[in-house]
Amino acid sequence: MSSSDEHWIRSYGRDQFPHVLVVLGFALYPILLGVLNRTPLASEASAFLPGLTFMIIVLYMGLFAISFDFISGYTGYLSFGHAAFYGTGAYFVVLAANGQVPGVPEGTPFMVTMVLGATLAFVVALAIGAVSFRLTGVYFAMLTLGFAQVMYEFIRHWGYVSSNPTEGATISSGADLSIGVPFVDSLNFAVGRLSGDSFENVLGLGIDVSATMTSYYALGIVVLLSYFVMQRIIHSPFGKVMIAIRENEERARAVGYNVFWYKMGAFATSAFFAAIAGALFAAYAGGASPDNSFYFLVTADALIMAIIGGIGTLAGPLFGALFHEWFEDILSTESDGLSTYLEQLLPESVLTAEVAGLTINDFIGTFLDGRAPLYLGIIFVLFVLFVPNGLLGSIRDRLGGTVSKRFPAVLDRYRR
Amino acid sequence: MTIELTTEVPLVIDTLERLFQPSTIARIIVEGLGKAAVYFVLAVGLTLVFGLMGVLNFTHGAMAMLGAYIGGLVMVLSVSDGTGALVRIALFMVVLAVVFALLTGFGSAFEYSLIRPIYDRTPMYQILLTFGVALILEEVTRIVVLSQGIQPEPPWSGAMATAPAAFTERYDILGAPIRGLYAFEIVLGIVAVVGVWLFLNRTLYGLYIRAGSEDPEMVEALGIDVRQAFTIVFGLGTGLAGIGGVLLMWDPLWGPSALLAIDVLLYAFVVVIIGGLGSFKGTVAAAILVGIADSFTTWLFATGIVTFTGLPELTIFGLLVIMLIIRPQGLYGVEEVGGH
Repeated sequence: MSSSDEHWIRSYGRDQFPHVLVVLGFALYPILLGVLNRTPLASEASAFLPGLTFMIIVLYMGLFAISFDFISGYTGYLSFGHAAFYGTGAYFVVLAANGQVPGVPEGTPFMVTMVLGATLAFVVALAIGAVSFRLTGVYFAMLTLGFAQVMYEFIRHWGYVSSNPTEGATISSGADLSIGVPFVDSLNFAVGRLSGDSFENVLGLGIDVSATMTSYYALGIVVLLSYFVMQRIIHSPFGKVMIAIRENEERARAVGYNVFWYKMGAFATSAFFAAIAGALFAAYAGGASPDNSFYFLVTADALIMAIIGGIGTLAGPLFGALFHEWFEDILSTESDGLSTYLEQLLPESVLTAEVAGLTINDFIGTFLDGRAPLYLGIIFVLFVLFVPNGLLGSIRDRLGGTVSKRFPAVLDRYRR
Repeated sequence: MTIELTTEVPLVIDTLERLFQPSTIARIIVEGLGKAAVYFVLAVGLTLVFGLMGVLNFTHGAMAMLGAYIGGLVMVLSVSDGTGALVRIALFMVVLAVVFALLTGFGSAFEYSLIRPIYDRTPMYQILLTFGVALILEEVTRIVVLSQGIQPEPPWSGAMATAPAAFTERYDILGAPIRGLYAFEIVLGIVAVVGVWLFLNRTLYGLYIRAGSEDPEMVEALGIDVRQAFTIVFGLGTGLAGIGGVLLMWDPLWGPSALLAIDVLLYAFVVVIIGGLGSFKGTVAAAILVGIADSFTTWLFATGIVTFTGLPELTIFGLLVIMLIIRPQGLYGVEEVGGH
């Protein structure tokens, strides 16, 4: 790949160049958004670009979709109840913050409870996997879904969680969850709080960092680290066995691998990171409800993100999540989306013009506002039919290899 | 510990005593069979489609939802306060036929245009495609229902109000007050079981389905036009889902709502998996099992013996998990179908 006289750091850096670009893109995005908001293009920016709160959703839902892809895209086992692990992480963090988890005192650093919750999900996944991996295909998908639904119905009616378990539980303690390094936080090293912290005039440069932006960067670092760990696993010999299982399980077994334990390992690892995503979500949202954590449709969202982004490409689901949330954002009025923009842009005479008994205004309200699921469904079906490899997968097919391997060559070609 | 025992033992004896009273048994069995009939009609189309084609149809719940809304619309438009019970029941039968015909056509067109091109891909893509179409159907229904001023989330009461008074009344069976609707549901359920049995055992396409769920490759090798059979069977499965939706229209527990799309789908999955995917006999048995379990746990909760409100739902999905653990291919499933 690289000539041997090069220093390994340099060649590694060049291999990871697209990754660096993506990370830089995410890191600089809030600044770009802030700059745009001070230009005459502010209304266009808020109508056509995802706002920062949606970018935070991209981060934790992206991580959840990546963890879903880790098992479903790389071993070929469709984990249809993956929300069970996301929910485990979310509820563990909420209950721990409220001091309701035995052995975990109130005030335990968030990073510790997050890892504990993820470890619990890891163990739960081993238990579910032990029975589920006796089955394949549709049956595996249905059994994991069955387990998740049992957990969903249980948590929905479990009085211990809160007085109204159907509505979910909220973090009641006043302190915000700090995302800093555990046990160093007390030395005032805390740079990231999931809500509350804002910094004004950073380093005297006149830059203000809002509380939302702090959360964005704090979450981003956790997601980046998690992605990096999963990426290293996929590129390790362990990951190669996962792919071998996807391509031909019989043959992988015949070669001498104990495929059962590889599948268990992959499933539990994936559950671990799904729980991290759930923990980030619950900490940011300040609570969790059964319908936004354990429910079947949460898995469905991850599935849509993975398919659009490219199933079987680890980074793909993140871009799928970006696409998904961008769509949700521009089609909702809550955050000055497309319909608000059109209402301001179009003259009154056009808005009140009637077509087939509906005014244009009604039309916008009915078919645009909050209708993201409809268009996402259509796009999803088109992807399944015509772009089965998703965005990133298709780019890979075009380039003939992973982007990170091919990108330098493409760059070289343009440089000449 | 001894203190706990003294409080618990009478409770168990008390429960058993109440359970073996004729009124309790009548209530559990009649309500259970009524629920079983609904579960059967909701699930049988799914199992037919899977039996022949190996496609797990995620649009099934959305199709039932369409059936409930279309049926409700026709009933609301044609029923007034003065309409008698018999006319209402006759109209209901007409609605069943109309919805069945409409959705059979719709399902066939859907299979022909969208699923047919991707049979050569892995089964996962058929799941994904039907799942995406289900999302679209649900959202379009939400838009239409919302623009017509019918609330999409709570069951549509207008459609439920068209039920004849005889069905909402409670009748005394062995001392238990039981809603008249359950008797109607049981009758319709028996008709559906007999109808599907005749279709499977007396028609050519029934033969294809039975053969297909045993050995799909052999069916193809024998020169049967599998593609045409797929289209017809998929359409019929969709039509049955629509009938299931119409049945829910008068049921106080369901009623037409956008949420049916997911709820029906999950319940139908549970029933077909417990019975064995692709097995008709299994679907009947599983529907009865789930229906009785549902009415039993509902009784446990209603009498205050168990205070956990989620018990019926938890039991149903618990049954699914237990069945998959001890017998993955289901009650009457063919092991080879279960293996993939």
